[in-house]
Amino acid sequence: MKVTYNWLKDFVEIKLPAKELADKLTMAGIEVKSVEEKLGDFIFEIEITSNRPDWLSVIGVAREVAAITGKKLKGHKVVKSQVTSKAGQALTIEIENKKDCPLYTATIIKNVKVAPSPTWLKARLESVGCRSINNIVDITNYVLFEYGEPLHAFDLEKLASAKIIIRRAREREKIIAIDEVERVLSPEILVIADQEKPQAIAGVMGGKHSEVSFATKNILLEAAIFDPLLVRRGRQKLGIQTESSYRFERGVDLETAQKARARAIALIQEIAAGTVEAGKSQGLAKTKTPPISLNPDYAERLLGAKIETNKIKSILNYLGFAVKLKKKDSLSVNVPGYRQDVKKEIDLIEEIARIYGYDRIPRTLPRVAPQLSSGTTWELVGLVKNILVGCGLNEVITYSLIERGGLKDFGAGISLPVEIANPLSKEQEILRPTLLLNLTKCAAHNLNQKQELVQIFEIAKAFSLAQNLKAQEELVLAIALCGNKSWILPQGKVSYELGILDLKGIVKTLFTRLGIKDYTFETESNVGAAIFVERIKVGVMNILPREAAERLDIKNKNLALAELNLELILKHAKLEKKFISLPLYPGITRDLSILVKEEVSLSAILSEIKEKAGLILEEVKLSDFYKGKQVPAGFKSLTISCFFRSAQRTLVETEVQPVLSAISQALSEKFSAQFR
Amino acid sequence: MPGIDIAALQKTIEEEITKINSLLELEAFRLKYLGRKGVVAGLTSAIPTLAKEERATFGQQANALKNSLNRLVEEKEKALGAKAAVQITNTMDIGMPAVTHQIGRLHPITQVMEEICQIFTRMGFSIVEGPEIESEYNNFTGLNIPLEHPSRDAFDTFYIKSHVTSHTSQEGKLLLRSHTSPVQIRVMKSRKPPLAVIVPGRVYRPDATDASHLFMFHQIEGFMVDSDIKFSDLKGTLEMFAKAVFGDDIKMRFRPHFFPFTEPSAEMDISCIICKGKGCSVCGRKGWLEILGSGMIHPNVFGHVGYDPKKYTGFAFGMGIERIAMLKYGINDIRLFCENDLRFLEQF
Repeated sequence: MKVTYNWLKDFVEIKLPAKELADKLTMAGIEVKSVEEKLGDFIFEIEITSNRPDWLSVIGVAREVAAITGKKLKGHKVVKSQVTSKAGQALTIEIENKKDCPLYTATIIKNVKVAPSPTWLKARLESVGCRSINNIVDITNYVLFEYGEPLHAFDLEKLASAKIIIRRAREREKIIAIDEVERVLSPEILVIADQEKPQAIAGVMGGKHSEVSFATKNILLEAAIFDPLLVRRGRQKLGIQTESSYRFERGVDLETAQKARARAIALIQEIAAGTVEAGKSQGLAKTKTPPISLNPDYAERLLGAKIETNKIKSILNYLGFAVKLKKKDSLSVNVPGYRQDVKKEIDLIEEIARIYGYDRIPRTLPRVAPQLSSGTTWELVGLVKNILVGCGLNEVITYSLIERGGLKDFGAGISLPVEIANPLSKEQEILRPTLLLNLTKCAAHNLNQKQELVQIFEIAKAFSLAQNLKAQEELVLAIALCGNKSWILPQGKVSYELGILDLKGIVKTLFTRLGIKDYTFETESNVGAAIFVERIKVGVMNILPREAAERLDIKNKNLALAELNLELILKHAKLEKKFISLPLYPGITRDLSILVKEEVSLSAILSEIKEKAGLILEEVKLSDFYKGKQVPAGFKSLTISCFFRSAQRTLVETEVQPVLSAISQALSEKFSAQFR
Repeated sequence: MPGIDIAALQKTIEEEITKINSLLELEAFRLKYLGRKGVVAGLTSAIPTLAKEERATFGQQANALKNSLNRLVEEKEKALGAKAAVQITNTMDIGMPAVTHQIGRLHPITQVMEEICQIFTRMGFSIVEGPEIESEYNNFTGLNIPLEHPSRDAFDTFYIKSHVTSHTSQEGKLLLRSHTSPVQIRVMKSRKPPLAVIVPGRVYRPDATDASHLFMFHQIEGFMVDSDIKFSDLKGTLEMFAKAVFGDDIKMRFRPHFFPFTEPSAEMDISCIICKGKGCSVCGRKGWLEILGSGMIHPNVFGHVGYDPKKYTGFAFGMGIERIAMLKYGINDIRLFCENDLRFLEQF
């Protein structure tokens, strides 16, 4: 909202320069965004919080200025009893439901001279960004900005009669508003009608038909209050917002409406002549709000600063509150009508604090009883992230909302996704059930920036509909690897393309560091594998099929993807550590070189060895692997290293030999292994 | 021993060793003279065959020869070793690429969140997280934000399409949380004061994406509730936080503001870290940067969670992480955070 320095001076004496005043207002809670000097005046662009409709007016801001600078507010003299009903024209107001319209006043002013506004009026309106129309319309706007009460003037002759009906619109009823757009109304919308049709959308916009023009002779001036919620719903339904609806939906009070009405009548008579012929007012009686009691001790306890009771009284008085000393150190405060936001003692304390100055409240540190919680998800996730970073992965953050269509390449096992009711675009249709689509897009982006190697991960929620159709979320870890790792070593360049075994290595490192021992990887297809922890499936890994990769702009590259349910994994994490004594006796290493058919799985061989070897086998691992010209087609050559050790004594050859024989025999019988 | 002239031998040895040019030759030389079956060993083993009166002198001479040989070999070894080192430097090029095993990086948003969380945990706060799908009640009503009120305009929200026809009217519709504040309601409903909690997390608002808006971003919420928490404590706590993040020479100011869930409410500004308060394009020529919203928890919120507002007071604050990261690192486009270009990520 805009307000000018000179306009404020109409209401309060100001000695501070504009810039300084702007700073003071900002520090009292009316944020002045900018100050612009124009034609000898200063225009303040201010931001007004939704709780302060009274600041949507020059007089409201002036009241703040008065409180900050300690000056009295100058009011306009309200000319009374001009509005007396006279014979000649019958004026009636009919309010269908007074809840919708707690106040409606109408004033008939005859023989006005509609003309362009005087220069000062035009200039003021233009300075706050309002276009000049004619003197009558300009006066209603001027008073809107000055008092915050939106007014409307109808051309009396264009109304069917001087009977004003405030009612809900009928289904499919139409009105052409002053912006010349025809709008279709419905019963959620309140209108001002004559006996024939709607003449204005109440609190939002006037109608074209009864608009005041240069030909207008007699007018009906409306000053009213409409139900804030009704105005809000109405303007939302129609998709328009006006200076008028903005103020009504935030709330206008009875007193302000009456003052604004008197001010407008006075200005019309002064600028456009005319005589007041009739006036009427209808609505609900003014409700009295009970005073709020304020305890200065409580204010001190809450703020951490002692503000003298006299100071409290004076601050509240400047802001228009009436303060009475009730008993010892308890104040009784009456709230003015324009401060509908002040309902409780705490609201008064805020008023006191902000005028007193937040900067004058000291800085202290609270006494905290620390609650040391460890092993929280946040901490564990932080550990997981650091392990992955140590594995060379970069963390990414991608959107949780995605396009439904993108899922088909990642859709295995996904039933109904969680949908967004009001997405801004197609890219926000659903909450993602998998992180892999966005991770793939992210890899594609980087490969297209000529990155040789992309190793990324994300930890975020994945969303799905449960059996009972309730939306649920789970923490998921997703990893994507793509490209070549290469080194220049003394023997020359070494390079290889990352694949699923790199993923396996990362997952293995993660599990090891989390203290998870019981885990397995099981081949699910030629390109994929499942990951199990304590025999529960916790994730999958695969190479994205080439067609799918190409659809996402990844060409001739293998993208290795893994997705794991992090919540399940963290449940199995064992971070407590226990020292195990270092071995006392040396061990014996024996290598087995065998030739087996390609389809024989290494895990099967290793578990067979473990089973046959018994307790003295400390470790068994593949130490070499060969497939190619040196071995027959369809076969692979494996060198398996077995390490034997006893915790009780130094093992001797004669103990190991029989075990090796048993292993060899089992391997030849079970897997037709040939020893080399 | 007749026929063996030790002095002549010494001369031969000295001549021989000067001709040696490699460690290999030196080793052969060493074996020849000092080995188990070498010349010196031969001399020593011959001692018993000598006449008694000759033994001592001969023994001494042989020993002197051995010591001299040892010294010569040692010196030569050093000389050759140094040479070898010189040879190595001649073939090695330290300008060749290093053999590295690169470790990755945490996303800058994670780094800033962790830094902020650490500052507060050191002050005694504990970390609590909450779900991203929330109820209308926790996101709005419980926080004193009426469902139909202009104060809601600041909280545009993504709603979840409902497949479940019956949900309790108290909880209202499901939505994606538009701030981390609903966790206040969750924590206060399940625990009793004293509380000192911070809540990091993702939040969502249907804003059109541009250089300063994303429809998904991160916030950290913090709150403290006890029988004697004051507005001055809020100021002191947040001052410590701002100095820890932006440096000791930063200036701060608290400006009155409006949030439905706090009263009194304040926004905290810090002196612009770019222009040091003189006014620049980053701070809009004001010299101040707004970094967080805060205030004393509204008694209505306490009412909703079943706390006695007469007994307890508390403060709460909330901040946008992207904004703080942008200020801290001088990033001018918020979209970079979600684009995840490695050339961007690898700068942090």
